[in-house]
Amino acid sequence: MLWYKAWLETRSRFLTSLATLTIFCAFFVRHAQGLIGPGWTADHNRLLFVTQQFLVIMWILAAVLLGMGGIVREKAIGISSLTLSLPVSRARLLAVRAGTGVLEAIALGVAPWTIIFLVSFLAGVPILISQVVFYVALLLGGGLTYFAMAVLVSSLIEGEYTAPAVAFGVVLLTAIIFDAWLRPFNLWRMVTGDFYVDRHTYLLSGHFPWRGTLASMSGAAVMLLASIRVIQRRDF
Amino acid sequence: MTNTSAIRTHDLTKSYGSLTAVRGLNLSVAPKRITAFLGQNGAGKSTTIKMLLGMTRPSSGDGTVLGKRITDPAENRELRREVAYVAEDKPLYGYMTVEQTILFASSFYSDWRPDEAIRLLSEYRLPPQRKVKSLSKGMRTKLALLLAFARRPELLILDEPSEGLDPVAIEHLLQTLVTRAAEGVAIFFSSHQISEVERVADHVCILEKGGLLLDASLDHLRQFYRRIELVFPFPPPEREFQITGVERIQTKGHRMSVFASSNAEDVVERAHNLNAVSVEVAPVGLRDIFLETVKEN
Repeated sequence: MLWYKAWLETRSRFLTSLATLTIFCAFFVRHAQGLIGPGWTADHNRLLFVTQQFLVIMWILAAVLLGMGGIVREKAIGISSLTLSLPVSRARLLAVRAGTGVLEAIALGVAPWTIIFLVSFLAGVPILISQVVFYVALLLGGGLTYFAMAVLVSSLIEGEYTAPAVAFGVVLLTAIIFDAWLRPFNLWRMVTGDFYVDRHTYLLSGHFPWRGTLASMSGAAVMLLASIRVIQRRDF
Repeated sequence: MTNTSAIRTHDLTKSYGSLTAVRGLNLSVAPKRITAFLGQNGAGKSTTIKMLLGMTRPSSGDGTVLGKRITDPAENRELRREVAYVAEDKPLYGYMTVEQTILFASSFYSDWRPDEAIRLLSEYRLPPQRKVKSLSKGMRTKLALLLAFARRPELLILDEPSEGLDPVAIEHLLQTLVTRAAEGVAIFFSSHQISEVERVADHVCILEKGGLLLDASLDHLRQFYRRIELVFPFPPPEREFQITGVERIQTKGHRMSVFASSNAEDVVERAHNLNAVSVEVAPVGLRDIFLETVKEN
């Protein structure tokens, strides 16, 4: 039933995000219709690439919002003692919340690209499935780090509105700092596919960045473990 | 249920920086009894309960609930299976309906009684499909109580359970507490409603500034606590009455009021020996005991 609680707690955020991303896909379809010609061109690929840029922004916003909540927020609104009085460890409470959030974030990553792929296919301009998989894998492989960061922030900061404000600030700050001084390690550019796109064909090319993905997933795991530790040690 | 204490603490202390919320608390709550936990706001009652249930870690000291150590996370998790708890602010998830809340809570406890939950749902007139966030304060309190009373726990911990309830619901609550205690459940509850405490409690603990001021059975309090009003033909000799058991002496003109936790007979005898013109001995209610004890501190 903890999963059920986590779903009830996040479903409005999840469904709102899903609806927003789906509506965004409609814009992609509208633009793609204008590009329909005798064959697949680089313009289509460019449109996919641009779509990913906007999807990443919206997905990260959604992932950060999904990472919010949990018993620290419950403490802020005065309901944490109900959760904490359950015969459940704090580690499990956080694991279930993070697990639900990860599944929802995955759905939010997969759904728009699935819609784009299907609509393009039905419209007679099929997209290479390998490109779709590449984009989705980049989005989830790197993007879940932002979700984990949001979970960590929500475990450290109590305020109902302070935590999301800080989390969004961290996303923005890291993007700016890494872009200025540590560009090869800029997670944002990895997730958008900026490092891997061929500027002539606008196709993602080369090998999938396994090492980068592994590093960002490890970072996400460390942040989730740190969140568990913080929650275990915290007084409520 | 064993005959060992349902709750026992040893020098339990909780400090927040320079503020000590609970200091060296040695508490023992008997099984199958109703123990009331009294104290002013900020006396440390809720902090103590939070430490018992593992929500807050003690700064020092330790304790057991149903024989399980409160400072061991695994043991604390186990003890929470056997304890039903209603928190002071009656926390509930606003995004759940009444029915979802009951379903959710019931899934964690093997001692859940579905028939009792249905009965209480009807008795409290709670709308199953209504979202918790749209319930009134009284309804929320009733739902919180339902979650506790629909179980068969070994220990009930209730933090100001009657807050927000109407007189009928309070009456029902008090009757339920007495019934549950008769069934063998240990009940530990905090309240500011001393008249309610006086009606149902077997034992009273008074906490003030984080320390235990009084730990006695209600029978003991009724038997030994007295207020003795004395009138003398001359200014009363206060020092003559500073004996064991006398907690407080107030003098005004030729009148003297003695508040005694024991030894009332000695006070009366001394008063007669000193030619008091009037001696009146009256039993003391819990409200006066509480006020006098806290004032004395």
